[in-house]
Amino acid sequence: MRRLLSALVVTSLAACASNPKPAPASPDSPALGQKPAPAEPTADAESFRATPPQPGKTPDLVLPTFQSAKLDNGLTVLVSTRRELPLVFAGVAFAAGSAQDPQGKEGLAELTYRMLLEGAGKRDTVLLDNAFADLGVSPAMDVQADGAQVGVRVLTRNLDAALALLSDVVLRPSFSPKAFERRKKQQLADLARAMGQPGVLAQLAYLEAVFGLQHPYGHLPDGTPASVQTLTLADVKDFYQKHTGPQAQAVILTGDISLEEGVALAKKHFGGAKGKATPPPPPPATQAPPRQQVYVVPKPGLDQTLVLVGRAGIAAGNPDEYPLELATTVFGGFFGSRLNMNLREDKGYSYGAGASLAPRLGVGSLTAYSSVRQDVTGPALKEVMKELSGLTTKPISAEELEAAREGLIRAFPGAFESVEGLGASAAALFITRRPLDEFNRTVEGLRDASAAEVQRMAEQYLDPARMQIVLVGDPATIQEQVTPLGLGKLVPIEPDEAPSPRAAAK
Amino acid sequence: MKALVAAALVFSGAPALAQTPTPQEAKPLEPGREALAIPYEKYALPNGLEVILSVDKKLPVVAVNVWYHVGAYHEQPGRTGFAHLFEHMMFQGSRNVADDVHIALLEKVGATDLNGTTSFDRTNYFETVPSNHLETALWLESDRMGFLLDALSPQKLETQREVVKNERRESIETAPYGAAREQAWHALFPLPHPYHGDVIGSMKDLNAADVDDVKGFFRQWYAPSNATLAIVGDFDLAKTKALVEKYFGSLPSHPRPQRPEVAPVSLTAPVVLREEERVARLPLLSIQWLTPAYLEEGDATADVLATALSTGKASRLYRRLVLDKELAQSVSAMQQSQGAQSVFTVDVVARPGVSTDTLLQEVDAVLDEVRQQGITPEEIARARTRYDTRTLAGLQSVGGFGGKADVLQSYNHFVGEPNYVAQDLARYESVTPEAVKQFARDTLRPGARVILHAVPPARRQAPLDSKERH
Repeated sequence: MRRLLSALVVTSLAACASNPKPAPASPDSPALGQKPAPAEPTADAESFRATPPQPGKTPDLVLPTFQSAKLDNGLTVLVSTRRELPLVFAGVAFAAGSAQDPQGKEGLAELTYRMLLEGAGKRDTVLLDNAFADLGVSPAMDVQADGAQVGVRVLTRNLDAALALLSDVVLRPSFSPKAFERRKKQQLADLARAMGQPGVLAQLAYLEAVFGLQHPYGHLPDGTPASVQTLTLADVKDFYQKHTGPQAQAVILTGDISLEEGVALAKKHFGGAKGKATPPPPPPATQAPPRQQVYVVPKPGLDQTLVLVGRAGIAAGNPDEYPLELATTVFGGFFGSRLNMNLREDKGYSYGAGASLAPRLGVGSLTAYSSVRQDVTGPALKEVMKELSGLTTKPISAEELEAAREGLIRAFPGAFESVEGLGASAAALFITRRPLDEFNRTVEGLRDASAAEVQRMAEQYLDPARMQIVLVGDPATIQEQVTPLGLGKLVPIEPDEAPSPRAAAK
Repeated sequence: MKALVAAALVFSGAPALAQTPTPQEAKPLEPGREALAIPYEKYALPNGLEVILSVDKKLPVVAVNVWYHVGAYHEQPGRTGFAHLFEHMMFQGSRNVADDVHIALLEKVGATDLNGTTSFDRTNYFETVPSNHLETALWLESDRMGFLLDALSPQKLETQREVVKNERRESIETAPYGAAREQAWHALFPLPHPYHGDVIGSMKDLNAADVDDVKGFFRQWYAPSNATLAIVGDFDLAKTKALVEKYFGSLPSHPRPQRPEVAPVSLTAPVVLREEERVARLPLLSIQWLTPAYLEEGDATADVLATALSTGKASRLYRRLVLDKELAQSVSAMQQSQGAQSVFTVDVVARPGVSTDTLLQEVDAVLDEVRQQGITPEEIARARTRYDTRTLAGLQSVGGFGGKADVLQSYNHFVGEPNYVAQDLARYESVTPEAVKQFARDTLRPGARVILHAVPPARRQAPLDSKERH
């Protein structure tokens, strides 16, 4: 192939050398085909374009399907079959996450799960990684507040071998002291790095503002420098012992595999697992108090200000979820939403602005975000608050609602094209303990939400008086431009200075 | 260059496929690779628009994907960032599509994977829509291809200029190492090379752009003859051909514009940059070399070496710098393959308290090892399995970044043959330990590279542990 390709390149160079400025093709040149295109189409012939085409017949809505089984030891097996390509996502989902970090030991879940890939079975870190690499993959580990997942996307022919390795990782981790010391230092350095990123600083301050540092959701999975410093190998082993085991785990298999095949493989590789751990209780719901202050993370001279405006939202499965999702979408969920159209397309303050509802097992968050030009921090924040109030003064129109409803529902098939996407969805269902037909319920819920309900949700949950505000940026500019807005006292916080002692002081 | 050849073949009226490798001519696919063959049909309209159609009925969605064969490479000096700024203008309305509704209209019918992107080599626009809205997508794409200028206003340009400047602030000025990396890039491609500027451009050049520039750019580069339309997914072939003819057939065109020919640049001495890092808190060492263009001899070798150096915990750089010596927080090596010339980059982020000079010595030690001994056949085999898996995974989506439509478009753009996946992967079969050794010796030379030290001021560097901080 390369020879042919090189030949083509040589021809091209030669042609250019001998004819550096090829004459433009004449109108009847074969370069444009046999028939010259009309020079300027007549207005009449093009008038059909003035009317947008009518859509064809609506296709059936194809939603992903999930099937599950339970092994004798209590292990859940979750399968979603998609046969088009010889690919399978294979993973293990865990029902405990950083919400189970003990107070003062934030970062423990993260460190524990990361240790699973630092040696397992008869292999140390390097041998384990090479064994995965022989299958053409690196395992991905994801630790969140409500749970964790480790998984790989492999060719079907490599599935059995991949599950053998995953079973070592999940059931026979080495927990070597040397690897532990190294991994812990790496997590500390990760934190040091994270503290330089405006986005991470904003998240840290946001979690504190919305949930409070004492709440199980009040910290990032990484923990803090002080809390990670205290972690020991015994802590890691305890966490693993207490929170993992077949009754608190699911083997996830999506793609080129059936439920029957999945169960057989799960039995073979995970059927012998024992352990009494059960899924932990959901973290407590939390109220959204009125805003009393504006949190400011100072980053002198930063060219943009990061703006997060939000509050505690709802738990997965809350009946308010679907009408609230619609209200949030109209406000900031789509590119064409009120917020983005205002901040980006009308004012040019930002590269983008949006809002999202993230339900969790306990309580999720409802967040609007944008990164705005430093010198318009005040005006931009004012517009965000104005759009929130606007949901009451200029209620959601029928047109806005139907666009959000149809857009969200019709996007479902396109959102589930990959086996790894199906795997992530399956893990989310398990971790948030939702039924297998969750996506059908979602579609029904979005379809059935009435305009009155959606409007009520907008006013109830997107009330500007209950939205906490976090700003990361130049403190002098923020002081000067945000104080006059009267949104609350500006309180500087330095998440990288001493987050943990502050938590301990409470 | 390859793009030109491909174009010549397609538009010369000769059956292009007779002169480029076809799937049938390719050697039989290896087991597990059968699924990589993408059935497709390609033809050109009389106005020069190339059309690639590929039916895939797994879900009731269809991807519409347009590549314009123009990127930042084709900009004029002093007009950096223009191709990308122009891309933004393509979402701002055209003769029959009102301002600002393009995206909203697609969103409300349930479009996914909806975007436009600009690189040095091309600009693309794409959306995946429920199959019954294919015509809506074709209407939108054709209206902006044919009638963008009818709706252009100085005010719309002004707003998008501001949006793009914010995008630049987000991706460069306030991104960790963003400003420092920009300096290194400028050093790699000295003026007048068209890769000198960033794709996003400089603030100065963005400020200079005016409506006449937009008009000129559109007239020169955005003709049907310089574009390829790909439709992939659940659609009826005959009906779709008729729709393509209806919406695109009458759009005016002109001969395909010439791609500027630019001599490759080379470095004759190392360039060392020491930049004060304003955003990130850990030092970054970034080493960059100029390497062969996409699909040219050496490009596949560079991919394999990059994988062996930094993919996975057992990779050479990770093992030595992160696991064994605990000097680095992360490592990455990659071949950024581009149409005119590529760049091979090794990035290492230091642990707190470790200097970038120490990291440089360590990276050089690893590279010297490769220059002396090459890498092992196992490392090459692992990389190949990885690429097979990754490539197949890309074909799961009909559209979006790296989806099937993008894959067909990319090969069509660079070699004139949309279904080149198997041939692309076959390149890796000929990569040998010896070839990797030669590449490391001849191309990744210590004397021909840009070395960037992006170091935060001392007081901002994180101490080794929290006890030292009080």
